[in-house]
Amino acid sequence: MRIKLAGGAALGVAAMLVLSSCGSGSGGSGSSGDQKASDGGQVTLKMVAADYGDGPGKPNSGETFWKGVVDEFQAANPNIKVEVQVINWNDIDKQVATMVQNGQVPDILQTGDYSGFAKDDMLYKVEEVLSPNVSGDMLQKFAEYGKVDGTAYGIPFVSSARALFYNKELFAKAGISEPPKTWDELKADAEKLKKAGVSQPFGLPLGQEEAQGESFLWMLGNGGGYKDASGKWAINSPQNIETFTYLKGLVNAGLTTPNPGTKDRKTVWEDFGAGKVGMVNGGPMSIPIFDAAGLKDKYGVAPIPGKSGPLDTTLGVMDWIMAFNKNGHAAEIKKFFDFFYTGSAAQKISDTYKLLPVTNGGIQKLSSDEKLKPFLDALPNASFYPFQDPKWADVNPEIKQTIGGAVKDDPAKVLGELQKTADAG
Amino acid sequence: MRRLRALEPLAWTGPAVVLIALVVLWPVVEMIRSSFLKINRRGVEQGFYGFANYDKLFDEKDFAEIMVRSVIWVVAVVALTVLVSLALAQLFNQRFPGRRVARWALIAPWAASVLMTAIIFKWMLDPEVGVINQIRLKLGLIDALGGASADQLGDASTAMPWLVFVAVFVSVPFTTYALLAGLATIPADVYEAAKMDGASRLRTYWSITLPLLRPALTVAALINVMNVFNSFPIIWAMTHGQPGYSTATSTILMFILKGSNIGESAAMSVVNFGMVLVLTVIFLKVSRWNKEVA
Repeated sequence: MRIKLAGGAALGVAAMLVLSSCGSGSGGSGSSGDQKASDGGQVTLKMVAADYGDGPGKPNSGETFWKGVVDEFQAANPNIKVEVQVINWNDIDKQVATMVQNGQVPDILQTGDYSGFAKDDMLYKVEEVLSPNVSGDMLQKFAEYGKVDGTAYGIPFVSSARALFYNKELFAKAGISEPPKTWDELKADAEKLKKAGVSQPFGLPLGQEEAQGESFLWMLGNGGGYKDASGKWAINSPQNIETFTYLKGLVNAGLTTPNPGTKDRKTVWEDFGAGKVGMVNGGPMSIPIFDAAGLKDKYGVAPIPGKSGPLDTTLGVMDWIMAFNKNGHAAEIKKFFDFFYTGSAAQKISDTYKLLPVTNGGIQKLSSDEKLKPFLDALPNASFYPFQDPKWADVNPEIKQTIGGAVKDDPAKVLGELQKTADAG
Repeated sequence: MRRLRALEPLAWTGPAVVLIALVVLWPVVEMIRSSFLKINRRGVEQGFYGFANYDKLFDEKDFAEIMVRSVIWVVAVVALTVLVSLALAQLFNQRFPGRRVARWALIAPWAASVLMTAIIFKWMLDPEVGVINQIRLKLGLIDALGGASADQLGDASTAMPWLVFVAVFVSVPFTTYALLAGLATIPADVYEAAKMDGASRLRTYWSITLPLLRPALTVAALINVMNVFNSFPIIWAMTHGQPGYSTATSTILMFILKGSNIGESAAMSVVNFGMVLVLTVIFLKVSRWNKEVA
């Protein structure tokens, strides 16, 4: 007995060691991966990119897209090989951080932010890796956001904007003739939809996936935002508290998605596609989802309602591409970037994923697309997250996790806690 | 030659030792090292940071609550798992028609990926279309789909029981099989002797089966304690620890922190590691104490 028990305990302890080491052991500082393959003038560029598609194996996967681009590029530039590693959005930042920690820095990175790397002096300046005629065609406002202390490091890659989607059939059923322009109208319409049997009159995703986006759209509707005009954090400004108090009223009246603080954007968009949601804020990227769900031609797109009138701005999101200076491949990277922006690739990414272009030329080419027009029109006057502020990296995850509480508990308290996070340190 | 012979066992144990050092000890050392480093969000190490990561972690508003919840989570899941498994093991130890099929069926929740199981339960609980809510609607337990009453994962008070249920669901097969193996080792003559002495069924179970099952029970429960404490996919897939942090355990917090502060996340891992050690020691103490009394 005793021996058996001791044996069991020993086995248990050994198993414990194995199991608990599956926690967060971070990689060590391995040797640097200098990829300078100078034999025969052949250079290999390592690129890491985010996946805009539905994941590996899907026809629109990032792997498929980049393979097409790279094949064409390599045919024209036989001396340069490009290896692309596509990572999904949830993991890319964590994985790139691990690569950097291990000294295995890629040559090119395409993701949601560049500014931190620029501050760590890890990036080439834009002028070193992009021809003037290409950078000159970028939307000026976007290019401005690519600068740190006056020097451009980030190259705008694609962008998107937001607008209000509404289900025309449900609106007709509830006897509503046009989409709401103000918060009062929105509430009245939501009540009509509820009476007509719509379970979620307004789709409100304030859960982990993108609470920071949905919240920002509502803040903008009341002249608020994450920061005030002077650039100070103002998450618990009176305007924002008023905004979330209004939202809390909608939630309590059962006019929104239940428990918004636990609902992801993806779920709510799918519910809209399934005809369960009357109105929802969405972007060009939600068009394929709604169309695939069989809602094609049954929804309309309108400007997002604000407290006293439709928004004259909207949330713009920009993704970036950047070049790391560690492996010294500026000339080759330049060739690849110029190829990407002047060839068909940039156009193809807009077509495939309904993402908006970042160049004047690209916007002109798309301006005839009826569904994209409201978004293209909104782009030049878009508002952006304060992502260049290093504090955003601390505040953003906290917003994603907790801001939903502001429509459940006390708005002033929840927003106050977030403000504290922004002010700390 | 003789000396060489003495070294022979090393050739056999060596690879295992190297493997353990490489995949167990080294990551632990790295984890502890990282928790004392200042590492920015891009993964750039910025030097020694002392206990700053720990200070920041302990200052997190929800930290105490999360640690308490983690312990309750472990105790609830493991206790329920063991109780259910004891009953199931007893049942499956009997001879009955279809036992083979039933035993195979029990493997299913174990064989399926935990993440997959969690996602399927999330779908079944979907407020608009989830099958569980369709049934509740038909039974008249809720008035309509899509509302707050159909959204059990949206509130901690109703989400926590479901999370525990799913965790028990995926832990039961392994535990049952461990106990079943334990039952198989109990010799039949002991039971015969008990029968001769006229012991009741309950008395037999309490005085013979349970004590003789203790080694298997201890190992099974111990592995469950560590497994459940480090359990990530169930909670992450079903609630992300939301609303707020109200369904998060320390493992979930560790993952969330990883996105903003790797050093603090490593500190959380070290605390987790310590918690598992403490829980294990307490558990072993308790089970030995039981033995002396019995």
